[in-house]
Amino acid sequence: MQSNVLHHPSVPKRRMGGQMSLWQRISELYRFRDLLYYLVVRELKARYKGSLLGFLWTLVNPLLMMAVFTAVFTIITPNTTVPKYPAFLLCGLLPWNFFSAGVMTSIGSVVGNSNLVKKVYFPREVLPIASVLAQLVNFLLALVVLFGLLFVFQSDISPYVYLLPIIILIQTIFVTGLALFLSAVNVYYRDTMMIMDVVILAWFFLTPIFYPLQILPQSYEVLGFTLNIHRLMYILNPMASIINAYRDLLYLGTYTEIDFLLRTAVTSLVVLVFGYWLFTRVSGNFGEEV
Amino acid sequence: MFTSAKDKMTDQLDDPLLDVRNVSKRFRLHSEQQRSFQEIFVNFFQRKRYSSSKEFWALRDVSFQVRPGESLGIIGPNGSGKSTLLKLLAGILEPTTGEIVVNGRISALLELGAGFHPDLTGRENIFLNGTLYGLSRQEMQKQMESIIEFSELNEFIDVPIKHYSSGMYVRLGFSVAIHTEPDLLLVDEVLAVGDANFQHKCMDAIQRYRQRGGTILLVSHDLGSIESICDRAIWYEHGRVQAFGHPTDVVMQYLNNVAEKEEAVRSAAGKSRSVDQLAEGQRWGTGRVEIIDVKLCDAEGIERSIFLTGAPMQIRLYYRADKPIEDPIFGIALHHHNGTWVAGPNTDFGDLSIPRVEGEGEVVYHIPKLSLLAGGYSISVAAVNRSDTEMYDYHDRAYQFRVHTGNTRERYGVVTLGGQWTTDQKPTPRPNPRPARAVPVEKVAQV
Repeated sequence: MQSNVLHHPSVPKRRMGGQMSLWQRISELYRFRDLLYYLVVRELKARYKGSLLGFLWTLVNPLLMMAVFTAVFTIITPNTTVPKYPAFLLCGLLPWNFFSAGVMTSIGSVVGNSNLVKKVYFPREVLPIASVLAQLVNFLLALVVLFGLLFVFQSDISPYVYLLPIIILIQTIFVTGLALFLSAVNVYYRDTMMIMDVVILAWFFLTPIFYPLQILPQSYEVLGFTLNIHRLMYILNPMASIINAYRDLLYLGTYTEIDFLLRTAVTSLVVLVFGYWLFTRVSGNFGEEV
Repeated sequence: MFTSAKDKMTDQLDDPLLDVRNVSKRFRLHSEQQRSFQEIFVNFFQRKRYSSSKEFWALRDVSFQVRPGESLGIIGPNGSGKSTLLKLLAGILEPTTGEIVVNGRISALLELGAGFHPDLTGRENIFLNGTLYGLSRQEMQKQMESIIEFSELNEFIDVPIKHYSSGMYVRLGFSVAIHTEPDLLLVDEVLAVGDANFQHKCMDAIQRYRQRGGTILLVSHDLGSIESICDRAIWYEHGRVQAFGHPTDVVMQYLNNVAEKEEAVRSAAGKSRSVDQLAEGQRWGTGRVEIIDVKLCDAEGIERSIFLTGAPMQIRLYYRADKPIEDPIFGIALHHHNGTWVAGPNTDFGDLSIPRVEGEGEVVYHIPKLSLLAGGYSISVAAVNRSDTEMYDYHDRAYQFRVHTGNTRERYGVVTLGGQWTTDQKPTPRPNPRPARAVPVEKVAQV
């Protein structure tokens, strides 16, 4: 308390009651960036306090799942064996875990921090974003181990692997958009969490994670319409596209089509903008709703 | 009353730190609000969809400004919307209509240690809490030593705070909040926590913060601290501003109103503390002299339950003796609600000799200037024989009253001793003599 200067020129004039402009909101979010950092640290520390393996669980879990799926998949479909199946699976499973954990932990982030939301002012979007970022950190750590395993399985890592950060960024944008949207909805309808439990499970099976897309029929006839399943999958399911991109780079060792990636990026951005828009529209009432 | 003050203020050059413009806040009381899809589904078939929400205006059209360096106190009864106002100012709630402009950083001491995480150490929580107030890591790093020192947690600072006592928790919370160096500090009753020693330290820190030019907005039931900290006060009730101005005046007006309402409730309920209603064990004695009624009155003999420090008071005892009794002594015991026995006057000490009582009669204890300080007190009454061998009647702590701060500024302990201070230095008049009161104390009791 040594300073005599009490005026903080860095703090912008804040206007409550009138809607904040988008730019004001973003600069407010930037002002609270260190809070974001500590919330991520808190989330990571709190999760692994008291567990023996600590953050290693992030790695053990997919490895165990890999073992299970490898066993099951090779028993169910012995004919269409995918070469280097463990590597194939992990390339899909790890990004999927980031997605599902990011969505599921962030849904309850606003409601779960009601003690903060009711007592302190801060941009509420920090909460779901922190949840997503904590999962991103987990994912990045898991990626390190994934590279080790890919080396063991002699997977074909693409020369275009430098595109990986872009894919991770696109996925993070997509997850953040969903997180903002769902965490806001969950404040008003607490069933969101239960519903999403089921949705995520269905989504998992509808996304080619433990099976290659090729085992699905190319086309399917419904009410006289011929549907191109493969095309529909990529159009309707951004996660399919994203996981496809991961596989291109880490498993098939090919180039990932840029126009395809671009379309996924645009979809993710639209989700983010919509999620952020909805979140900021209702976040002013969180203080009395949680 | 409010606009005139505001107009005067807008002439000044300084920008207000806080500008509250016609703010109203409506809550929907949704006792039946659909919280889940299941309820919506059920209610859809019961056709109750729009029946539920009732409206409640916690604040209506509130406007005021706070300038840098000022300290404003807000008083009002429970449920008057004070906390809502603080939450609006802190940005936790949004006003339904109107606008609040804040020109600086606000820290709100709404709940000390909000956002502490039990698994993190004290040090980590300082960072977390500080950034929650919008500070950067570097700023917190600079303040770290000072925060730890203030909280007196040196040896425990790297221990997870789930091992802290509640006192340590609060100390750390206050320490962080006061060190965030806000332009405007919102305080809601939090000074009532911690031990006396730490409360003193908090008060001290707040005074130093003020001296550095800090601005405070204090909401409290402790009218004494409002008077000692603030230079302006608002009395806020029924969603509206009832009075505004010098804290002493506002507090006085507020107390008058409280007293009036309490009296009204009491007279509406009739005589509530009838002697017959004394609990088992609260009354004993042979009953040869019975105390049939006790009245606490002001100078005019009107019954009251609230008295002001420095104002007159009468305690009237009504007795009945079916057979004549020689030389009885009537007495009173006065206890503070914290258990302290403050005084025990009786007719013997007062050199009033009553040779004989028969039938009904009255004994009165006159207090010209009540020297009790603010608080709750209870009175016991007794009738006993001269040799103190026979208790005729005893009512143990059966009659309650409250004392509110009157003309005095004293607020420590239970009584004011009424002494005078002198010095061998040449005395100078006080730089800021208090303005004359709007309501003289003598008149208060009549309101």
